[in-house]
Amino acid sequence: MSAQPRAPLDRWALSRALTQLANADPATLARRPLREPPEHAARRIGITGAPGAGKSTLVGHLAALRASRGRLGVLAVDPSSPKSGGAILGDRVRMDELAGNEQLYIRSLGSRRTGDGLADNLPEMLDLMDEFGFDEVLLETVGVGQAEHAVRGQVDTVVLVLLPDSGDTVQAMKAGIMEMADIFVVHKSDLPGAPRMAADIRRIATMARHASGGWVPPILLSSATQPASIQALSEAIDQHLAWQAQQPQEQAAQRARYRLRRLIERRIAQFVAEREDSFFDAPLERQIAVALDACRSPENRAVV
Amino acid sequence: MSTQHATAVLGGRRILIGKPGLDGHDIGAKIIALTLRNAGAEVIYTGLRRSPQQIAQVAVDEGVDAVGLSILSGSHKELVADVIAQLRTLKAHDLKVFVGGTIPVEDRAHLHELGVSAVFTADMPLEQVVKTLAELLA
Ligand SMILES: Nc1nc2c(ncn2[C@@H]2O[C@H](COP(=O)(O)OP(=O)(O)OP(=O)(O)O)[C@@H](O)[C@H]2O)c(=O)[nH]1
Ligand SMILES: [Mg+2]
Repeated sequence: MSAQPRAPLDRWALSRALTQLANADPATLARRPLREPPEHAARRIGITGAPGAGKSTLVGHLAALRASRGRLGVLAVDPSSPKSGGAILGDRVRMDELAGNEQLYIRSLGSRRTGDGLADNLPEMLDLMDEFGFDEVLLETVGVGQAEHAVRGQVDTVVLVLLPDSGDTVQAMKAGIMEMADIFVVHKSDLPGAPRMAADIRRIATMARHASGGWVPPILLSSATQPASIQALSEAIDQHLAWQAQQPQEQAAQRARYRLRRLIERRIAQFVAEREDSFFDAPLERQIAVALDACRSPENRAVV
Repeated sequence: MSTQHATAVLGGRRILIGKPGLDGHDIGAKIIALTLRNAGAEVIYTGLRRSPQQIAQVAVDEGVDAVGLSILSGSHKELVADVIAQLRTLKAHDLKVFVGGTIPVEDRAHLHELGVSAVFTADMPLEQVVKTLAELLA
């Protein structure tokens, strides 16, 4: 974990490169050479959970704690408006204390056309953070159901932030997200209901994880008003990272699958969005054939 | 970014809305943020009482095309000069700076001299704000 000697962070270069990547269309990305396994890979920690659960607050506190150990990046995704494509990116409002730390870089991302809690081209952006020598990246997802599944494949450790409101357990069970989390944290434990919630989660989580064995996800309570609770969360993350490092690494294949699927989904989505209404009068088989064909040569799309 | 959104004149643009100085009233800043979002921009919002140094650093880190400063405290001349100086220190010469809030007419020329591209007041129609920014960032 000790920081090896390396060039100081070029914030301009990183900032420009991230903008370029965020704007890259699927055809451009498809032409990029596959990357070699990196010499230096950042530890990746995903923070997910319902809207307003306290993800940004926790990321802010964790970043403050953990940036003293090395170069730390935060990628925080907020939802883009499907109507205008615009977004209010407000996660960093909760990360005040962090300004001015040379070791820390925060980037806010709109989810754009990605509906799974991540953002367009996020896998490539995470890789870029490796290239810029980050030791660790905290990734805050959009607060939507299903984000847990997508983030699972992109990070080493998934932290699921829950509210002290028991309604959440049912939601969590329905979506099957219990299996996705490495650490559960019932946040806002200064509010009533937190211990009860933690007890419920404990019972359900033990059932969910039975098959996989190995890591037993801890269930923690945290509050922005209690620094010791965030310290404990940070330690649990370290323990999981250490455990994870001993496991067979299956992430590369998982990430490759996600990347390909997203690129193809986006090409198809773009194709569909650009069609005139009359296109959909054709037999469905024909529509599919044309769409797949267009996906093959995106610059040269035939309009039918 | 904007191909699907005919009205998204600010599609693909990133704009920082910052509130330097001590006044704690940010409804104006929030309305501008929402207006720009509805015009297709990604609006990075920093929250209240940020120092000019913080605002400039965030502008660089977030890769924005423009910085909007909302100032109601009356100290707009000092704060704007500070933010622009900090942006120059960080070599952010290409960023457009615009200012909104309670800015007396007689101060506008001075702000433009400092390097501000546009000054918006509360009585200005929001479409006008969007149109001006779209031209500025075209
Ligand atoms: N009572 C209490 N409120 C908290 C705590 N931590 C955060 N909050 C409040 O919860 C609200 C949401 O916090 P955020 O950190 O923005 O939550 P988030 O999960 O990032 O929200 P989204 O990104 O919008 O999904 C804010 O008003 C915080 O002030 C806490 O420990 N206790
Ligand atoms: Mg947030």
